[in-house]
Amino acid sequence: MRIRNLFYFLGEALKSVVRHGWMSIASIAVVAMTLLILGCFMVLNFNVANLAEDIKEQVQIVVYIDENADEQTRENLHNKLVAHPELDEVRFVSKDEAMERLKRQMGDRAYLLDGYTEEDANPLRDSYELRTKVPENISLVAEEIGNYPGVGYIDYGEGIVEPLFQFTGVIRYIGLAFMVGLALTAIFLISHTIRMTVYIRRREIQIMKYVGATNWFIRWPFIFEGLILGLVGAVIPVLVVQFSYQAAVEWVQENIYFVTLLPPQQIGTEIARILMPLGVVLGILGSTLSVRRFLNV
Amino acid sequence: MIEISHLYKQFGNDVVALKDLNLVIDRGEFVFIVGSSGAGKSTLLKLLLKEISPTRGSIKIFGRDITRLKGRQIPLLRRNIGMVFQDFRLLNDRNVFENVAFTLRVTGASSKEIRKRVPLSLELVGLKDKQFKKPDELSGGEQQRVCVARAIVNRPAVVIADEPTGNLDPNTSMEIMKLFEEINVRGTTVIVATHAKELVDYFQKRVVVLDRGRLISDQERGVYIDAHKEPLLFPGGGA
Repeated sequence: MRIRNLFYFLGEALKSVVRHGWMSIASIAVVAMTLLILGCFMVLNFNVANLAEDIKEQVQIVVYIDENADEQTRENLHNKLVAHPELDEVRFVSKDEAMERLKRQMGDRAYLLDGYTEEDANPLRDSYELRTKVPENISLVAEEIGNYPGVGYIDYGEGIVEPLFQFTGVIRYIGLAFMVGLALTAIFLISHTIRMTVYIRRREIQIMKYVGATNWFIRWPFIFEGLILGLVGAVIPVLVVQFSYQAAVEWVQENIYFVTLLPPQQIGTEIARILMPLGVVLGILGSTLSVRRFLNV
Repeated sequence: MIEISHLYKQFGNDVVALKDLNLVIDRGEFVFIVGSSGAGKSTLLKLLLKEISPTRGSIKIFGRDITRLKGRQIPLLRRNIGMVFQDFRLLNDRNVFENVAFTLRVTGASSKEIRKRVPLSLELVGLKDKQFKKPDELSGGEQQRVCVARAIVNRPAVVIADEPTGNLDPNTSMEIMKLFEEINVRGTTVIVATHAKELVDYFQKRVVVLDRGRLISDQERGVYIDAHKEPLLFPGGGA
């Protein structure tokens, strides 16, 4: 493509957007609506994923050391845990530290524990707090560690963790399916709308062919037009999602303390990074697919 | 310049549009192609533009067999043929200047060239003062003039017109035909498919008559021949 032509094509595309004003608005509206729905869903999905990630990070295995284990067994256990390939974090919590924590948790009523703070009276046990590299593997790892010598018993929220992971897994797949579905709907709607605009202009295309225009000469203005429509159609939902999400986050912060949503800036850039190219691709794809049918003259 | 030999065109299994057509048209000729509807005129023009391909036979234009052209070579062929249609086929959302400029634009001509050549072409057809009007602000004859200007702005070796006066009144038709004659005098080959008997008889050019896909007559300085002229049922009644 020559530079001279590039400007001509761009000019033609812009003129055409203006000339076919209502069709352009319809195309932009279709792109904007579908991308808006997609954008809202993405915000929701990002936050659910974030929440699930948060919960996962709190999942840990607590290994209580057998009181009767001797020094050698304890040391072996320590070495084995540190060397375990599946474990990300291995933290030793002595029974004194555990007692301190308990006191802090009980706050004003910590005096109830007064009788148990002496060296020999502390009923708590030394323990390890472990995090697995892959949270979903926690039951397998816990089962394996449970058989190590020197382990008294093990606690990893058995029966609670498994369904949680199942739930977050399902949510993720549903989210993905929804996004793919919406993107396909968007392509369908956009190519349909643009096909209508191309259909209105099939005469124009036919005339272009008669005076000796190459297919690419005819196609380029349509491609640029699709690009412009897609871009404008994507900017609208990006702005709408950005501002309404900002408002939503502020409202949540004031009213629901225990939920932390992702920061608006992060969501904004993420949404823009996905929706803008998507809009452009949808626009170009829609117009190229539609114009193809009318090129055989 | 145009050499058609043993050309056949069949649509489907039984519709024969052209049958063993042989025709040679030299550079600078003015040729009327006449015949009633279904005689094969439109099919012949479509074949010349490579809008369709023949069933058999060859069409040489500028010494090159266009039946073997590849898809992406067709635009180059069409840039050498100026086309005028019965229904004008102008772009209604662009003014006269832009409609004519369009032909140059597709060849990648520069704006400077376009500004130079479009007015020359519009002047020849007598529409220089209406270059900023839209097609629907013009009369039928003026629209056809725009169409002629568009066909010649590229300086093609041949101009082909398909029923160019079909939608025009007799006076305007005569003007348009005189315009073609003038273009022809300047050296361009002109081929006009028509069934306007009066015009064909008036201009006394070469006349090629098609009937049911066959060439039945080819005369220098000929007149219109109606192959289907039945004996009059009511002599003196006119028809």
